[in-house]
Amino acid sequence: MPEMSGGHVKLESLTKRFDDVAAVDDISVEIKSGEFFSLLGASGCGKTTTLRMVAGFEPPTSGKILLDGTDVGNWAPHRRNVNTVFQSYALFPFLTVAENVAFGLKYKSVPKSQRDSRVAEALEMVQLSGYETRRPNQLSGGQQQRVALARALVLRPSVLLLDEPLGALDAKLRRTLQVELGALQKQVGITFLYVTHDQEEALTMSDRLAVMNRGRIVQLGTPEEVYNEPADAFVADFLGVSNLMDAQVEPGGNVKECCHLRLGDFTLEARAGQLDATGAVKVAIRPERIHLHPYQSAGVNRLPGMVERLVFLGSTTHIYVRLATGAALQALMRNEGAGSPYSQGTPVSVDLPADAIRVLPDPGVSVAEIRDETLGDQLLDVTSSVPASS
Amino acid sequence: MSAIETTRHRRNRGLWIGLALPGAIWLLVLFVAPFYVMLSVAGGGVNEFFQTVVPVWNPLHWSSWNLSAVWHDIFGPGAFIGAPALRTLVYTAIATAISLGIAYPVAYFVSRYAGPRKTLFLVLLIAPFWVSYMMRMLAWIDLLQQGGFVNSTLSFFGLPGNTDWLGGKSVTVILGLVYGYIPYVILVLYAFLDRIDQSMLEAARDLGLSKWRTFWHVTIPLSKPALIAGTFITALPMLGDYYTNQLLSGAPGTTMIGNAIEGQLDSPGEVGQGAVLSLMLLVVLLIPMIYYVVSTARASMENA
Amino acid sequence: MASVAGESVTTSPPEPAQVTMRGRVRGNPWRRPWGMEGFTWLYIIWSIVPIAIAVLFSFNKGASQATWQGFSTKWYVGKGVTSVLHNPSLHHAVIQTIVLAGLTTLICVPIGVGFAIGIDRWRSRTSNGLNFLMIFSFVIPELLLAVALFLLVTQGLTFIRLGTPAEVAGLVVWNLSWPAIIVRARLVSIGHHYEEAAADLGASRLGAIRRVLIPMLLPAIFASAVLVFASTVDDFVIVEQVSSTSNTQPMSVLIYSNVHGGLSGPALNALATIMLVVSLIAALIGFVGYRWLSRGERTKGDVEALTAVAGI
Repeated sequence: MPEMSGGHVKLESLTKRFDDVAAVDDISVEIKSGEFFSLLGASGCGKTTTLRMVAGFEPPTSGKILLDGTDVGNWAPHRRNVNTVFQSYALFPFLTVAENVAFGLKYKSVPKSQRDSRVAEALEMVQLSGYETRRPNQLSGGQQQRVALARALVLRPSVLLLDEPLGALDAKLRRTLQVELGALQKQVGITFLYVTHDQEEALTMSDRLAVMNRGRIVQLGTPEEVYNEPADAFVADFLGVSNLMDAQVEPGGNVKECCHLRLGDFTLEARAGQLDATGAVKVAIRPERIHLHPYQSAGVNRLPGMVERLVFLGSTTHIYVRLATGAALQALMRNEGAGSPYSQGTPVSVDLPADAIRVLPDPGVSVAEIRDETLGDQLLDVTSSVPASS
Repeated sequence: MSAIETTRHRRNRGLWIGLALPGAIWLLVLFVAPFYVMLSVAGGGVNEFFQTVVPVWNPLHWSSWNLSAVWHDIFGPGAFIGAPALRTLVYTAIATAISLGIAYPVAYFVSRYAGPRKTLFLVLLIAPFWVSYMMRMLAWIDLLQQGGFVNSTLSFFGLPGNTDWLGGKSVTVILGLVYGYIPYVILVLYAFLDRIDQSMLEAARDLGLSKWRTFWHVTIPLSKPALIAGTFITALPMLGDYYTNQLLSGAPGTTMIGNAIEGQLDSPGEVGQGAVLSLMLLVVLLIPMIYYVVSTARASMENA
Repeated sequence: MASVAGESVTTSPPEPAQVTMRGRVRGNPWRRPWGMEGFTWLYIIWSIVPIAIAVLFSFNKGASQATWQGFSTKWYVGKGVTSVLHNPSLHHAVIQTIVLAGLTTLICVPIGVGFAIGIDRWRSRTSNGLNFLMIFSFVIPELLLAVALFLLVTQGLTFIRLGTPAEVAGLVVWNLSWPAIIVRARLVSIGHHYEEAAADLGASRLGAIRRVLIPMLLPAIFASAVLVFASTVDDFVIVEQVSSTSNTQPMSVLIYSNVHGGLSGPALNALATIMLVVSLIAALIGFVGYRWLSRGERTKGDVEALTAVAGI
């Protein structure tokens, strides 16, 4: 595969309005050449619309789409050096696999002699060599997705756009393909712009990701940054379990190192997040950072609680704990072969390490409302195996 | 139709208009314009000498001469169009009712209970649809003749076998209408009933409704669009039927409105009145037609 | 009662009546609906047998419609009797029918397909109005349109002469709704994804239509063509109204005008049988063609092809 150059995408104040509603509201992003970049968000957040604008299926209302320096915002889709893998694959049912993959080569003035070799090359890249004469309806979902991928890659675009391509596949196949897609991207070196609502997917595959909500980018960063250092309560709750709680800031903290919080009748120390906040705040802590100890054991940042429910997930066990303050938390325990020392109804002492508690600005809405927002337009995210919120 | 789709298509408006243009022109010239001509003829006069029609193109100059002649023929003394008009309504109502009564169980059976033999039944049901109307009527003319099979079968069973079925019997015409139109009814009903979700009926049974109750309270309401479509597809064209009567009877006692129109068109000098009568029929049918068109168009828009 | 379409109802043996919590269940709820099936068969027999008899008697040696006098093809090809091959009016009628059907199909289908695609995408009041107009032409009694066309051709656009030109013109407009509705329905179910994919891969708007949309619409286009053809073979209301001399009379009109006298007996049966065969051949071509054209799509099967060919 010859070296790909280019693939630098810059969105400047990109906006798309439908009637009075701004589906995409003033987005500015710079995607580096060769990067695997994801747009992550719930249904209706504007990620697909953004993708479609980059592909050319929607004209932007205002703003620029710069592809390697050129503003292509109003160019027709077939003129842009950008290709898309659709959620429904959109394989042409009346053509064979090889004919499908070769479809776009006709417009690239590739001489006939080279077409077959390019098609073979593309199919090999997606591990479907030998399937040339099959028809799409003879393929499984995963195979169809690979053909769609080959069909786009054979044209050597500078950017590949993927619109929730794994959405229609079952969980295990999805996980396998996630890894393969990531490897493929590194091998081919093209910029991937990937849209998904599945935070696990985005975390697995991306070099960087942008979390979107209501047409805006809420946070942009590497998976580690976004997961460990969420900028606000929405992002925290969207990427995995956040155990969001309401709290009040108490005087006495050193704003650079720690913050004193009041949680119900208890005081806690927090060392992460927005330490100079005052008044009402939200706090988040990841389930894997919570430790459970026998009841009445002493220590800083320990609150009494009771185990409500245990959910065995194979490699881990989720422990649902109710704090004495009334808040419900989810803790994670790795399966180390010794069984669980806790059962339903056991009183425990919940240890919330200070450097794991993250202080977040209060958006002014309740925790329940934030949870609803992360679910977006759908009521249930049934495709994700790790619940976005408990 | 989502907002997303509207913006996409708006880009190439010229192309879509261009594609639709030949059909649009054909419709306007050969569907709309003819009715304007019909209006002009209806509102026009007669060349007394040649007994030909003189159409009047300007609406402001339309005369009501033809209209009053026809009105006279319908309602005045010596009226002879009133009876066919009434008869048309009666025949159509009865024939439609019989058709639905036969078609519904058949369509219901084939769409829900036919199982692996569905293809076979469909072939048998669709076959008459492909047999021309002429052939279907011809078949019955052969059978109903004086020396034909129907009479000989009746006399075989000891019943009187010398009825002149083709001499002007309402029964013959009504059953002829049924025989002629029922394939369309069955296919339309089948198409709708096939789409009814079986799980809805199963849910009803599961919730405690007996077979009969399920049928009455769930199946029938779900079949309403089917029955309405079936009625319209049958009754509307049937009201303009003239050939069934012509083929199976030919006697003045069973004529329908269509025959009256035909008669006037064949008589020189009465073409204008034929136009008026046609327009009257059109006006009567306009409201049910508009209802059907609007609901069909809306249904197809919703699916878009 | 609980049979899922496609599964046989006879898989479970009849069970004795059961007492459930809701009271006594009479009989076996899974028993076959004999009543309805019997009724259906009765209908099928009533529907097909008369036609079969008429076809049979077109091969009758004698002229009777009621008594079988032996097998003969003389009404088709015999010399010295009124046979289709040798009687000029009958002969011409067959040719005229085929010519009319062919011409109408050739004109009506492209126009109808273009209309369907254009109306579907050109969303405006005008296009809605045109769509309404088209559906109107579907439900209006044919007689009214025939009369209006007759008047148009004789009083207005007299350059369209009575006879074959007027017949074709009228038949095209009468049958326009077949391709328009069928192709439109298929268009709606296809959606916009495939053309978008084609555009993404480099096709221009027209290129996408040509290389992707039309191939995907081919089964529907083909089915509607077959339907237009058969509908035209059958038609006589419009044709009768705008025909000129008896030389331009197709089979349907000939039969109609000769039923009560004139060319009598089995010759008409022979003609009608020819009409039937032509239509059935069209249906068969439609069925086979539809299946072959949609072989790339998973859900198409016999039932789909049958219903497509029947226009539902």
